[in-house]
Amino acid sequence: MMSMTSKPSLARRCDGVTRRDMLRLGGLSAFGLGLADLFRLRATGADQKIRAKSCILLWLDGGPSHLETLDLKPDAPAEVRGPFQPIATNVAGIEISELLPQTARLCDKVAIIRSMTSPLGEHGLANRYLLSGYKPSPVLQYPNYGSVVTHLRNGGSVLPPYVSIPESRGSASGFLGSAHEPFETGGDPSKPEFRVKDLEFFPGVGEARIQRRREYLAEFDGVQSRLEAGAAPTDSAFDRAYRLVTSADAKSAFDLNAEPPEVRARYGPRMFGQSCLLARRLVERGVPFVDVQYTGWDTHEQLVRQLRDGYTGAKVGVGLVPTLDLGYAALIQDLSERGLLDETLVIAMGEFGRTPKLNTRGGRDHWPRVFSVMLAGGGVRGGQVIGSSDRVGESPHDNPVTPADLACTIYTLLGIDPTQNLHTADGRPVQINQGGMMIRM
Amino acid sequence: MSLSAILLAALAPAVCFAEPGRSWDFDTEIMPVLTRAGCNAGACHGAAAGRGGFHLSLLGSDPASDHAAIVQEFEGRRINPAHPERSLLLAKPTGRMDHGGNTVLQPDGAGAARLVEWIRDGAPRGSSRRLLNLRVSYEPLQERLPASERGTPTAVEEGGAGRPSAPGVSERARLTRVPIQVTATFQGASGEPGEPQDVTAWTVFTPADPAAVEVGEDYVARVTRRGQHVVMARFLSRVVPLQFSVPLSDQEVKLAGEPRANFVDDEILRVLSELRVPVSPPATDAAWLRRVSLDLTGRLPEPALINAQLQDKTPDKRGRLVDSLLNSEAYADYWTLKFARLLRLHSLTNEPEALQAYSTWLRREIAADTGLDQLARQLLTATGDSHVVGPANFGRMVADARGQAELVGQFFLGARLGCANCHNHPLDKWTQADYHGLAAVFARLDRGREVRLLSRGAVTNPRTCEPAVPRIPGVKDLPEGDNRQAVADWLTAGTNRQFAKATVNRLWRALFGRGLVEPTDDMRETNPPTHPALLDRLADDFVEHGCSLRHTLRLLALSNTYGRSDSLVEGNARDDRFYSHAFRRPLEPEVLADAIADVTGVPEEYAGQPGGTRAVALIDPLSPASSLDVLGRCTLLGGCEEKPAVAAGLEAQLHLLNGEFINGKLTAESGRLRQSIAAQRTYAEIVDEFYQRALGRHATDAEAARWSTRLQAADESERRQRLEDFVWSLLNSRQFMENH
Repeated sequence: MMSMTSKPSLARRCDGVTRRDMLRLGGLSAFGLGLADLFRLRATGADQKIRAKSCILLWLDGGPSHLETLDLKPDAPAEVRGPFQPIATNVAGIEISELLPQTARLCDKVAIIRSMTSPLGEHGLANRYLLSGYKPSPVLQYPNYGSVVTHLRNGGSVLPPYVSIPESRGSASGFLGSAHEPFETGGDPSKPEFRVKDLEFFPGVGEARIQRRREYLAEFDGVQSRLEAGAAPTDSAFDRAYRLVTSADAKSAFDLNAEPPEVRARYGPRMFGQSCLLARRLVERGVPFVDVQYTGWDTHEQLVRQLRDGYTGAKVGVGLVPTLDLGYAALIQDLSERGLLDETLVIAMGEFGRTPKLNTRGGRDHWPRVFSVMLAGGGVRGGQVIGSSDRVGESPHDNPVTPADLACTIYTLLGIDPTQNLHTADGRPVQINQGGMMIRM
Repeated sequence: MSLSAILLAALAPAVCFAEPGRSWDFDTEIMPVLTRAGCNAGACHGAAAGRGGFHLSLLGSDPASDHAAIVQEFEGRRINPAHPERSLLLAKPTGRMDHGGNTVLQPDGAGAARLVEWIRDGAPRGSSRRLLNLRVSYEPLQERLPASERGTPTAVEEGGAGRPSAPGVSERARLTRVPIQVTATFQGASGEPGEPQDVTAWTVFTPADPAAVEVGEDYVARVTRRGQHVVMARFLSRVVPLQFSVPLSDQEVKLAGEPRANFVDDEILRVLSELRVPVSPPATDAAWLRRVSLDLTGRLPEPALINAQLQDKTPDKRGRLVDSLLNSEAYADYWTLKFARLLRLHSLTNEPEALQAYSTWLRREIAADTGLDQLARQLLTATGDSHVVGPANFGRMVADARGQAELVGQFFLGARLGCANCHNHPLDKWTQADYHGLAAVFARLDRGREVRLLSRGAVTNPRTCEPAVPRIPGVKDLPEGDNRQAVADWLTAGTNRQFAKATVNRLWRALFGRGLVEPTDDMRETNPPTHPALLDRLADDFVEHGCSLRHTLRLLALSNTYGRSDSLVEGNARDDRFYSHAFRRPLEPEVLADAIADVTGVPEEYAGQPGGTRAVALIDPLSPASSLDVLGRCTLLGGCEEKPAVAAGLEAQLHLLNGEFINGKLTAESGRLRQSIAAQRTYAEIVDEFYQRALGRHATDAEAARWSTRLQAADESERRQRLEDFVWSLLNSRQFMENH
């Protein structure tokens, strides 16, 4: 089983860049990043070539159908092809689904991976694999991207370093511990009454008293922590809450009413779009990692209703894909216009794809062997398709990309050395990424 | 030279001058080669749909269909008897032909050679030899000893992980190499056991933690970390856990003189001594009282009780206190909630009477300390009007017969049967026949208000596409009819310890913060306990004492192990599973909410509940309670055994800081703080009372002095606010929010 994942020995692995790789320049150019850059990055830890300061993960929970979104097979038999047609994009030679017309207009900014592949076809396990780059293990729960990023970049900002809109699914922090769980906004950002719970002061307990409570708390816990075997001072949940509630500026990041109505309109009226807008406001203010949870992609039946229409008899499609299209395109466009796209890596993906053959209920079941992922910004060269699937979207045809490869790539783009070690509570070193290779064309 | 050329050259003579065929047994000689190479793993051809058009049963559970798939499917194109080495069965895994799974079989290895020979002999299914016994020899305790002191290797047979006795002489512990040998005994042609055969090469070794142990191609385990580690050895359908221990320290520790209250201490100290971990001193009376009160009743001790306990100098005062806690109403409330979560109690739409009847019955049985075996019988066999007969609701908390089978597995066996719905459990003994057979026992149950047995009803076994035969899992098939009694008899029989083990393991977890097997609903051979002998003794003792929860809780609470301090001593900081010190654990959300209400003297109002309702009394996880949700209560209908609910994170902290939950209670006129201020009590009195109520101890003189200074203020409203902030900080301190 171990050798199932083995790759040719000359391949570039995240565990270390070989001298041979050094001589064979250009392999990483898919991301505008040469090997020399990668080396410099590792040497200095902060290279200007690393552009991404923040990451927005649009998590399409349930497993979106690659065959109805980014990897259509118009020439395949009817039971594979599905109900939708491909359309041209603003990049010659790249076609995507007709349900993604807005996205099609800015494909020059997007890299589509069509050869993602994983062996895990159960939601829970696949979730954890795609969100961490580690296959789930019974002894150790690996942290998700957001938790790793905030573990390493936990300085400065008053805003929580990892925000989940509206809430995360299951534990994200794994062995890094609950301090690295995402902050959950709760609620629905598209609703006029949307507020993040408990962000405002309790009446009569203003800033001065919050400050005093903090001092008093140190009286109880300070003594105790000092006694504990040389433990480094931790940034407690209280400290984080304290900083947040005492900063009016930070709190305004969550206020969507501060956006002009025309901007809000661009993102569409629904929850996913307004969540994307909130994500933009947060990365604009320096939040390093935001994930937007978009549920409902487990489309075992009625693709047309679920993916396009949204409800039976809809005149204008408000289903999953048009909603994604509106929010995603607005986000990319908005980030680009504000000059933020280059420093914000935007990932759109779910845990797996869907079966090549339609099932008897007009839906598709789980299919991890090949599926598609969109990367944009953060130094990723847009207008390219990475890898491909076979004729019927069943298996990778070339350049297969594993979740570990994706993790290696994401971390590298974010300026995090994937070979670096994290430590479990009992001090065991665990490399950030294991067995992944930088994605290349 | 290409790999195929090497293979051809090596095999050419064999092909030209074939020896007369030996006799083969596909099931026990060929299948292990495929399992060892990973061919029939869940991610490969063992997947339900197979891979690349080739399907094998998961981990070789169905040899007949696997033989057919290899030899007969597609007119036998997967094998080539004339040129065995050209068979697809070899060409793919050895990498000579494109293979989605890459190279998994060395072309010149023993596995490939055996496949070649077998195909050359016509790829027969052969006779099926029954595997009688599997024996794994290795040294479990890893320590370099002088050769003369080395004991004989311990042999572990399936069914129990043996534990060697502590070594006599020590030198610096070495993280070292341990050879493993696996021998199998098959039933011979005569029906008698044959000679043991070495099957090490065909055994799959899977470390639970690959960073701690790895097993190389030379069948030598390399242990690279201190502590206790598990490797699973799989041959055919048998899985044997191997346990490797490396002492945590190079220094021997002396624990022989440690006081022992009962066998719990004997077992715990034995393992600590083996692993060389020193123990923390006993906890103070006050710390022990707070701990035991929270663990047994979910409540903080009242000041009167604290003072009585501190003043009591009689030797058996702890025993008497534990008895009074176990006989309290609070105990019944708290343990009813715990069992309600395990049994998945929740409200049914438009039928509040059902949950009412069920929870009332459950509380009555818990309060009466009815033996858990009696409880089990009632749950499994009750019928009638579920609005009146509480236990009749057992099967109504799940959707169908399969759900009920899974609930029975989880609650009574501490096991997750779900895997066996679609295929034989890969890590446990449960088969699909077990799973669907157990479901079949409940298939005829009408889950409406009137719970009764219908004349028909079946579940289909997806493997056979036939109605599943009712079955006691792992034991025997049952005749048609009402078999619920038979299942109850089996679960509660004196010889069946699984139910007892699952229960005492949960009780252990409730008192020590960690199960002897963790998670507590995932007990199986391949997830061995940290203290196997202790778990056995606790289970025996539980059964001998009428399956009484109170008996076992008393035993645990009065052990010296339970009474140890949470403060660390040199050398035991890293221990998180051997109980050398008490483990700090967060209060459960319901307990925390009640504790805050008790300390402030202001009950929380829960929507739709009468005033004064405590959080632990909210049996229904669907009942609205927004503050409990923010504090992280378990609202999953399937329970939260794997990841127990705790109040943590920024959201909970924001709620405690800015929310109504605490702030409202600090300023309530009826609350303890406002009342104390109105009664013009001194700072020292107020501080000490809150220390007692929240932390279960008096404030020290130094603490009292510091707070007197901090709380001084000229104006009255400022004074009041400072006191509010004092109580707020107390309720947000780790000392308060944790049990320790």
